[in-house]
Amino acid sequence: MSQTLTFGDSCAPITCHAWNKDRTQIAFSPNNNEVHIYQKEGNEWKQTNNLVEHDLRVMGIDWAPNTNRIVTCSVDRNAYVWTQGDDGKWTTTLVLLRINRAATCVKWSPAENKFAVGSGARLISICYFEKENNWWVSKHIKKPIRSTVTTLDWHPNNILLVAGSADFKVRVFSAYIKDIEDQPGPNVWGSKLPLGQLLAEFPNSPSGGGWVHSVSFSADGNKVAWVGHDSSISIADATQGKSMIKVKTEYLPFLGCNWISNNSLLVAGHSCIPLLYCHDGDELRFVAKLDNTQRKESGGLSAMKKFQSLDRQARIETSDTYLDSIHQNAITCISLYKGTKANAKKFSTSGLDGQLVIWDLDSLERSIEGLKIV
Amino acid sequence: MSATLKPYLTAVRHTLTSAMCLEHFSSQVVERYNKPEVEVRTSEELLLNPVIISRNANEKVLIESSINSIRVSIMIKQADEIEKILCKKFMRFMMMRAENFIVLRRKPVDGYHISFLITNFHTEQMYKHKLVDFVIYFMEEIDKEISEMKLAVNARARICSEEFLKRF
Amino acid sequence: MTSKYYENKSNARHDNYEIATPQLEKRRYIEALKLVLGNAPVGSTNQQVKDNALAITLKVLLAIKSAQIEEAVGNLSLDDIDILMKYIYRGFEYPSEGSSGHLLLWHEKAFNVGGSGSIVRVLSDRMRV
Repeated sequence: MSQTLTFGDSCAPITCHAWNKDRTQIAFSPNNNEVHIYQKEGNEWKQTNNLVEHDLRVMGIDWAPNTNRIVTCSVDRNAYVWTQGDDGKWTTTLVLLRINRAATCVKWSPAENKFAVGSGARLISICYFEKENNWWVSKHIKKPIRSTVTTLDWHPNNILLVAGSADFKVRVFSAYIKDIEDQPGPNVWGSKLPLGQLLAEFPNSPSGGGWVHSVSFSADGNKVAWVGHDSSISIADATQGKSMIKVKTEYLPFLGCNWISNNSLLVAGHSCIPLLYCHDGDELRFVAKLDNTQRKESGGLSAMKKFQSLDRQARIETSDTYLDSIHQNAITCISLYKGTKANAKKFSTSGLDGQLVIWDLDSLERSIEGLKIV
Repeated sequence: MSATLKPYLTAVRHTLTSAMCLEHFSSQVVERYNKPEVEVRTSEELLLNPVIISRNANEKVLIESSINSIRVSIMIKQADEIEKILCKKFMRFMMMRAENFIVLRRKPVDGYHISFLITNFHTEQMYKHKLVDFVIYFMEEIDKEISEMKLAVNARARICSEEFLKRF
Repeated sequence: MTSKYYENKSNARHDNYEIATPQLEKRRYIEALKLVLGNAPVGSTNQQVKDNALAITLKVLLAIKSAQIEEAVGNLSLDDIDILMKYIYRGFEYPSEGSSGHLLLWHEKAFNVGGSGSIVRVLSDRMRV
């Protein structure tokens, strides 16, 4: 049902992770300025590389499956594109982001000819390769972003980009770069698509508030889902006139969301458990918790001590160092392991507890009552 | 009176769990810096609404949170002059050693007796639910310790005056 | 779209006291609660209106006996629970004899239904009561 991977001895939080195309290699950052690459050998994972180029914390890693390039971005205002040579060593190519604050997130576009970087400079850098000088240059999307860009996702048509930010808004932009691609045709989100054109803007909440932590385009690109700090999940559907559906949950805020089918959305965050929600017509409903682990209580605790603890500190559990879940601290990154957004079979989560867990949706569907992925 | 203790601590526990959802956030104002937003308060959108939980007019907790840090300020019950002095000295003792506590703030927020500053770096190194446990435990133990100290002071004063008055 | 939301709520401002008081007098506390929560001037810019609404809501909350709190909470929609939580926290700011103790009971019952999410929304919603 789920498989926990361990890399090395440290239990440092994993800031973000990315898989290569056939899932034999993984790149992640252990909460510092390094990027570790591990290779699967049998049942073990051995470290093959340690990419050290950034001098402050790495905030985002993305691995382009077909061109086998890794892009990393960091608090030091830089991003690097890493390519692997024939000898297995990774070398960097310079990226001119031209931002004067920290970079927060990075994503390759579906065609892998450009990538987008969100930053604390209140703008998004769209970077593409310039052959003459062998570097990556960028164009900026600035208006009307009013605060740090926290999350990005690309539309399958390689042109549109959705960004969530700390100013409580989710915006769909056009990221069309005329130097490297043909003029796009119109689509449900809009017809005029010059670079930086704002096609849709959604507030996270009618009561204002709630930083947007994660956004995800559905597999067909018609819907955008996001999670906000007000513990809510929202979906906007371009085929329904860009109408929004929102569900306020009773859990702690979510930090990651990802579509796993055309109607099913996976969310995870501060509650340390992945949850499944389903978009059904005009409602968004809870389907199931995907982690029902119960920690066994350590023996030898007398009833008296249990009641004392309950009475004094208003606590229910007694063996309380371990949470009743696989992840012991917030989940910060969700990645599809097997399958696509239209039909995912396995996904991986990593978090502040330093664990990376791979979840198998088929076996979860069989074992959890009432769980059906539509 | 003690009937409100458990609901009070439960309410503070739930509020702290909800407010302590912190994440790493680099300063938007100064490049390459990371500052606790609840302290610098330069960007309004990064701050959450402050809330107070009170047990009565003399005991309350102020929780101010932001995207990467939370400030918890406690007002401790002080029934009489002795408790006021004991509380002041005790808090001062701890705040001077704030570095060893890691999460303690060197000065309390105005109107309160002691403050904690917890940042995302703390929640990355330590379990969040244990940090919440610590704050609750602290709130409980402070009242007990001040009561014990008051009893000890009174006992010592009684012994001293007995010895002194034996002469006469 | 957002300004229309404000207008609807502040139009209800005069009514809170008028509609809730008759219910209070008839001791129909649960109806009074639903009325004050449904008409709460969330996000109104008029501080006087908000203070008046707070006063009448607290009156209703304190009038409902401890044993009936759970039933009262059970009758509320999820949106109302969020607004109830906001008023509970506002009530903590003005402790008077026994009020905080009673509000702590309300907090526990509202939390059982609304979960951590309702508290998170008290912290994150810019529009306050």
